Amino acid sequence: MNNLIIEATKYTPEIVFDREKSLLEIRGKSYPENTSIFYAPVFEWLEEYFENAGDEKITVNMELIYFNSSSSKILMDFCDVLDAAASDGKNIMVNWIYEEDDEDGLEFGEEFQEDLESVTFNLVQKSIG
Amino acid sequence: MLSDLYEFKKDLSKRGVFFCLSGPISQNLVAEIGSTLEQKMSLEDTSKSTVLRVFSTVVENAQNIMRYSDEKEETLSLGIIAVGYEGNHYFVLCGNMVENDKVEGLRKKLVKLQKMDKNQLKEYYREQRRKPPPEESKGAGLGFIDMAKKASRTIEFDFKKINDKFSFFSMKTVI
Repeated sequence: MNNLIIEATKYTPEIVFDREKSLLEIRGKSYPENTSIFYAPVFEWLEEYFENAGDEKITVNMELIYFNSSSSKILMDFCDVLDAAASDGKNIMVNWIYEEDDEDGLEFGEEFQEDLESVTFNLVQKSIG
Repeated sequence: MLSDLYEFKKDLSKRGVFFCLSGPISQNLVAEIGSTLEQKMSLEDTSKSTVLRVFSTVVENAQNIMRYSDEKEETLSLGIIAVGYEGNHYFVLCGNMVENDKVEGLRKKLVKLQKMDKNQLKEYYREQRRKPPPEESKGAGLGFIDMAKKASRTIEFDFKKINDKFSFFSMKTVI
């Protein structure tokens, strides 16, 4: 199984899912015109990944500077997939990384944290500069 | 027309508008407008949260035009977006044509949001995010709720009937 690497554009985030390192990272802005088309390969990759993953520690870093409302829904679906895998016995830690004075970024993280039951979900503040 | 251009610009400034675009809106344009506005607001020492909220409101409005404007040229959707500053707040104006038979549904949706306070909007957003998108929606159906949630005042809107087929929908969001 290959790693999933999608380069960032002006309105889509960088995606680096590294199977060897058990490290999944989404970083940047997300407001594509069609969110489901952009994220389809992400969900396909995850499905195959979790089928083959063992009990290794999996780290997911979500560092989204900005996302539009339809991305917000997809990101929730993404977190739900992680949560389901965690309740299925996978060892998953999610870091929700937000900038120091981004109130909405923190609020979204808190909401995801409340909604998820099985993954370890950390809110990580990134200082500027 | 040429000599009126300065008057037109002056009129926009008088209304606090520092950015205005009327015509076809595309995804690439949205990205460029967004980053230019970000740059401008950073020069004015605007807080990160405010910059992101204005950026977000512009994106949601522009993508609404792209998805729902009933004034189209082939695949391009037409509308108008303006961003301004008045009384210590940024505001975003957005307008596009809609077919008359969609007006009542849209009005109902927006009146419902106008009546909600911050916490109700937050809850409603979370509730709707859990649901499959409404049938007529080409996005997640969350755009208006998102804007109302990020606004510092109640969102304002208006429908102006143009002819038997179309009305002009306009909306103002104060950040």
